[in-house]
Amino acid sequence: MQPIRLTGNDLTFADVAAVARSGCPVELAPDARERMSRTRAWVDGVVGGPQSMAVYGVNTGYGSLARVRIDDAHIAQLSWNLVRSHAAGVGPAVSPDAVRAMMLLRANALAKGASGVRPELVDTLCAMLRSDVVPVVPSRGSCGSSGDLAPLSHLGLVVFRGPDDEDAAESGEAWFAGARVPGATAMREAGIPRLVPAPKEGLGMINGAQLTCAIAALTVVDACEVVLASEIACAMSFEGLLAVTRALHPGVHALRPYRGAVQTAANLRRLLEGSTLVDALPDKVQDAYSLRCTPQVVGAARDGIRFAAEQIAIELNAVTDNPVILLDAQAGPEGENKAFSAGLFHGEPVGLAADHLKLCVSEVGAISERRIYRLTTGNLSARLPPLLAERDGLRLGLMMPQVSAAALVGHNRQLAYPASADSIPTCEDQEDHVAMSTTAARRAAEVVDNTRQIVAIELLAATKALWARLSDDPGAKLGIGTRVALAVVEERLGGRRTAAAPADDIEKLVELVREGALTRAVQDAVGPLAGVIDG
Amino acid sequence: MADVVIDGRRLTPRQVAAVASGATVSLDPAALRRMLESAELFPQHIIREKWSMLVGGEAPADSAVAVRTFIEGHCAGVGEPLSEPVLRALMVCRANVLATGFSGARPEAVELLLAMLNAGVTPVVPSVGAVGVGGSIALAHVARVMCRYGGKVRRNGELVPLEEAMRGLPELVPTEKDALSLLNGSTLTTAMGALAVAGAHTLLDAAVAACALSYEVVRADLHCLAEGPLAARNHPGAVMVARRLRLLTDQSTLATLQRRPDSFSVRCAPHTLGAAYDTLHYVEEVVTRELNAAVDNPLVFADSREVLEGGNFHGAPVALVMDHLKAGLTQVGSMAERRLFRLTYGQLSGLPSFLVHGTGFNSGLMLAQYTAASLVSECKGLSHPASVDSVPTIQHHEDHISMGPIAASGALHLVDLLADVVAIELLCAAQGLDFRTGSEEAGRAGRGSRSIHAAVREIVPRWDADRVLHTDLRALGAAVRAGRFGPDAIQLAPVEPAVAGGV
Repeated sequence: MQPIRLTGNDLTFADVAAVARSGCPVELAPDARERMSRTRAWVDGVVGGPQSMAVYGVNTGYGSLARVRIDDAHIAQLSWNLVRSHAAGVGPAVSPDAVRAMMLLRANALAKGASGVRPELVDTLCAMLRSDVVPVVPSRGSCGSSGDLAPLSHLGLVVFRGPDDEDAAESGEAWFAGARVPGATAMREAGIPRLVPAPKEGLGMINGAQLTCAIAALTVVDACEVVLASEIACAMSFEGLLAVTRALHPGVHALRPYRGAVQTAANLRRLLEGSTLVDALPDKVQDAYSLRCTPQVVGAARDGIRFAAEQIAIELNAVTDNPVILLDAQAGPEGENKAFSAGLFHGEPVGLAADHLKLCVSEVGAISERRIYRLTTGNLSARLPPLLAERDGLRLGLMMPQVSAAALVGHNRQLAYPASADSIPTCEDQEDHVAMSTTAARRAAEVVDNTRQIVAIELLAATKALWARLSDDPGAKLGIGTRVALAVVEERLGGRRTAAAPADDIEKLVELVREGALTRAVQDAVGPLAGVIDG
Repeated sequence: MADVVIDGRRLTPRQVAAVASGATVSLDPAALRRMLESAELFPQHIIREKWSMLVGGEAPADSAVAVRTFIEGHCAGVGEPLSEPVLRALMVCRANVLATGFSGARPEAVELLLAMLNAGVTPVVPSVGAVGVGGSIALAHVARVMCRYGGKVRRNGELVPLEEAMRGLPELVPTEKDALSLLNGSTLTTAMGALAVAGAHTLLDAAVAACALSYEVVRADLHCLAEGPLAARNHPGAVMVARRLRLLTDQSTLATLQRRPDSFSVRCAPHTLGAAYDTLHYVEEVVTRELNAAVDNPLVFADSREVLEGGNFHGAPVALVMDHLKAGLTQVGSMAERRLFRLTYGQLSGLPSFLVHGTGFNSGLMLAQYTAASLVSECKGLSHPASVDSVPTIQHHEDHISMGPIAASGALHLVDLLADVVAIELLCAAQGLDFRTGSEEAGRAGRGSRSIHAAVREIVPRWDADRVLHTDLRALGAAVRAGRFGPDAIQLAPVEPAVAGGV
């Protein structure tokens, strides 16, 4: 794999997924290295230089302790103290892919060259990604402001060491070569030296909402896949329920031209091209909302997800540090002080986006569940077998999978409650409004997981519905997209049969969606469908 | 003899928690006799009789095929497996339901459940996808393993092949009535609810201890604990909490009777902690009733020789109280966070910022407060009620559902989150007390507070210079969860001669 070069400006969602999940290597771009070195030189000048300038986080305390000046002799210890005392996470560990994404995003933010840390720090992060040294980061306890201090400090414990000692007991933990070991052990075995933090590097490591952004970015990637898979499942349900496609007509959507609705309608039309099962009942003029209004509901979700993704994409290539060092800024009344204290670390933009993302995706799941209900309910399903049970009576059909889908909807409704709406003052009222963005992002990831499971259940239900239709009318033709989808599902199920325990089938289809195999196979056959986000 | 004997009448949340963490279980002989009586009366072909109602169409002619289809067909559900303790709780709770003698299940089913528990064998069951009514998905996964049809299984935490795990355990050839009784009811909600109740007791007891320690550090005006006003309002929880706080701070020279009303997080602590205890006692009453309830359908009445259909399986009673419990506990955590915010806030506490010397160079316990704030915020989100929602299921048949498993798993999760908040208050308050009783101020903490402080210091040393905070949080959090700060664990120092200004 070609390494991705970090410039601070060019990272995409695809890059994040490639590094986090496929082990794609990363390196610092030469011009970024040069930029970093120049700002670093300025910081070095502050510490050793003749002017006695107070710069936040370089030679002061942190948070409300910015009022305290620290003398030059203690500056390395200051950073190391920061990392240790801020490693305050609790609870189960964040998944390794999200930790890798967090490391990548931190490295990219530093590559922008406004933080004043050494290029060696980014090199160390890149080396850890390459050797797959993944720090253990507890998932709970971050307010997302000023950034994900605690989660990034758990990364800092592995990256840094104290100026006077190398105490492995204070090096956190990391996964390396399949084992969970002390951070110092992992780094030693991977051959990566831990760094004694240079001035400002403690703060440079931990200030910013990179865990929020890492989880949110991977969740955007997953959400896009789940939404597209839900449209494929919906198209199969259209056929299974002998639906009317007039509600998908482009003329209809031109009259209320939401971009997402137009896209969803177009995708459904494309998938259903050539189908003889839809529009087959002459007296039927329109369907229930879960079919007819899918463009409006899933389309609106698409619009919301796109907005969230745009916000998160900005954060992928943003400096989230404080202070930032602007070498070219006008000197102004502060003379040579190029450090600007500001609030770029605040997690709000990403937290709000993540809250919106999860609300949108939970609606995609909610409408999918209603289609599952119709498919399994005798009087609503255009005479499909009740509960989609096999006609030989040897199966309960999908009675309980529909119940599971309903439970997932209920769970999503709980998770949809916005985390960003809350705030609790911290740090002696200095940090008197915080984002709670990390919680928003974690819950968004859960909503997407749940929704993937609902979509898998719809795929199973729609598949069984199509089997019933094809067995009633062997000459029936499926759409150009749905016929491929059916084949892919059948391959995964091991033929035209279901397992005795539906959980076994659902698990297989959840994996099918997670791997992206369904949308890939369908698009190979029908050409690209409208994606959820651009690029 | 087993640690816990079940008889369908007297199972408590604490016993469920004990079994969840490994206690052994046996069946009371009288309960066994009751089960035999009702099993005789139960319709032999109940599943095939209900088939047309549930599934529509023809039932299989062969009873064994119907049983197997019924059990396996209920095995839906998705997601990460339920934890081992929850699984063990589920199994003992279901055994106790059957032991009520109203289910018509044969004792063989209970005996196998108990044998599996005592051998450390637990099925792997997906955690998501149950709604807390009727046929339970989680119970179906358990039954699938009991009947050796398939599924994954653990023995003492390790995944082992099904045959190996079940070797030596009694064989169950399930009848139709066994199968129905193994599946029917919202027992997963009840099991998680029982664990939440047991956990909430441990949590609240530790929260009172942490509060007492904070009282010392903020030099609380103990008028807020005076019996008169509390009796005049007369909520039992508040009266009890105030009494306990008085005892813990007895003989303190720090927290004394003054004329200086404190902020609400101090002054009103007995009222919020007390309201949480009142809530918990109500919730416990409902959960305990449900633990010993016939939640099956249909039910067999051996005396009148009747078999009656009803709706005893619906999870609403426990779902509602789980949502209630979440709110009660969240406000305790929320107030604890405000107290520890004060402790770490130099201008409010009169102590060094973040409770450490050399602030600036050291950040002390700054981040502990952030962590507490984040956890409390997470609890607020979890407190959003699950039981207000319902999604129609099973062909309009189960057209109102309880969402009990979501409410109960939320409560269990919330208890876990708040244990760390209480741990953080203990950490901050113990550190603050070191300043109050150290060389600069020669204060003396109360009879109980001293013991609480000593217990904290056995687990984490004083914070003199920055170190890895996570290490302390993890150790104290574990101690809170293990009940290290319950009333039984706190020794009261002997009464000393009265000090001027003391209580």
